[in-house]
Amino acid sequence: MVLLLQVLVSGVLLGGLYALMALGLALVWGVLNIVNLSHGALIMLGAYATWFLYTGAHIDPFAALPIAAASLFALGYIIQRGILNLVIRGPMFNTLLITFGIEVILTYLAQLWFSADFRTINPSYAGSNHALGGLTVPYVQALAFAIDSVLTTAMWMFLLRTRTGRGIRAASQNLVAARLYGVDPKRIYALTFGLGAALAGVAGGLYGTVSQINPYIGGPLTAKSFVIAIIGGLDNPLGVIAGGLFLGVVESLTALYVGPTYRDVASFGMLVLILIARPGGLLGRTA
Amino acid sequence: MENILEASGLTKRFHGLVAVHDVSVQLRRGEILGLIGPNGAGKTTLVDMVNGTLEPNAGDLVFEGRSVRGLPAYRRAHLGIGRTFQIMKPFPGMSVLENASIGALFGTNGGERSIGRAREQARECLAFVGLGRRIAQRADALGGPDRKRLELARALAMRPRLLLLDEVMAGLNHVEIEEVIEDIKKVRDQGISILVIEHVMKAITSLSDRVFVLHHGEKIVEGSCGEVLRDPRVVEAYLGRRRR
Repeated sequence: MVLLLQVLVSGVLLGGLYALMALGLALVWGVLNIVNLSHGALIMLGAYATWFLYTGAHIDPFAALPIAAASLFALGYIIQRGILNLVIRGPMFNTLLITFGIEVILTYLAQLWFSADFRTINPSYAGSNHALGGLTVPYVQALAFAIDSVLTTAMWMFLLRTRTGRGIRAASQNLVAARLYGVDPKRIYALTFGLGAALAGVAGGLYGTVSQINPYIGGPLTAKSFVIAIIGGLDNPLGVIAGGLFLGVVESLTALYVGPTYRDVASFGMLVLILIARPGGLLGRTA
Repeated sequence: MENILEASGLTKRFHGLVAVHDVSVQLRRGEILGLIGPNGAGKTTLVDMVNGTLEPNAGDLVFEGRSVRGLPAYRRAHLGIGRTFQIMKPFPGMSVLENASIGALFGTNGGERSIGRAREQARECLAFVGLGRRIAQRADALGGPDRKRLELARALAMRPRLLLLDEVMAGLNHVEIEEVIEDIKKVRDQGISILVIEHVMKAITSLSDRVFVLHHGEKIVEGSCGEVLRDPRVVEAYLGRRRR
């Protein structure tokens, strides 16, 4: 029983990180209708940014997150403004191809500049736990989970309450009308992609504190984010949280009771099952 | 009276089809200009060119003394050109109030920076068109006539200087049409110039200071309501449609 509870706790904590990874992907997908295949590479860059700030400048990894986020925001804004805005009206295949190209370029630049060595972000408190009843809650993962919750809520509030957020929602719900009421689509798109990249940057920094990083982590993380975005639905950030938590728990349970090698079988199996049962996502409206 | 909008020689072709051919028209500041014509005459295409949804193949368009040709639609909105759609385009996932506040937040001069003031502005415009009690509903839950009202309120919330109304009365009943006619008159009294596309003749005759008629994409006549509706070319254009 304690074992099961422990697995559930780990699963929820893992799921919080998953949700944050997927949030940026879902935002960009929902607003720009771009499935950003370079999302995982942006997460990877966020992880390296945090690692460099920690090992090079001795900045605490959690304090380094805003810097990583700001750098990734700038990179994302430039990618959208300079490249993706040129093809956004084209067929979806073009954006898939171009974001895939960006993913390849970023991955191999990372290999060239950062080498293929495995890195970890290992602050002094990395191994510390909090014992709660018979359960162990690792500090780092709990903090990562808290940051994820705050950011997701902030994102939701931003979309609902601010002028720019409303412009983003207007552009995603009816682009033609939004333009005619004065919303500049290119600026809104660049801001949205920048935000998506910033979220990836934070997710990357947190990922680096709980897992090893190397230049090749991007691809699998894109796939995972994609699964979560679909499971959660693109309608609202709460769906993405639900999707992340769900996947985290399912993977943890599978790893314990079936075997760690079956984790991906479980996650992609869930994707197929959910697409059959609720094509709009867990919290999404079904057609 | 000075002109707020001057179109000269506007032409729009869709592949082989000439939708609008060499149309020149002036809209004076503070007037209501009626645009009529049989279905497929090119009325909506003309309005699309004015607000930047479509670029003309030829001709020029001058708004308040400067050419707006080539300016993207959102920039024209910032200059003060607002419009409603014949086929309504609400933001489906937002409340009625949020819908109208988009006009206020991003409209003329880039819109209102403060959410609170934009919401007030939107609320006023919604009350003006009679949607005051529906502000909390989701836009996609509204019925047809209320969606028409929302289109009008959202365009008004932009604080436009020129308002393009594309069949705001289609689908409304007699009482509702009377209400909208009164609303539009009040809008004009605020100093907003208006171009009205309408099939409801009563609306055209009671609203328009002048009328112009498009037929097969060309302007066939322009003048006061009485003159235009008696013009044999106009009668023929409309009877030709009826014979079909």
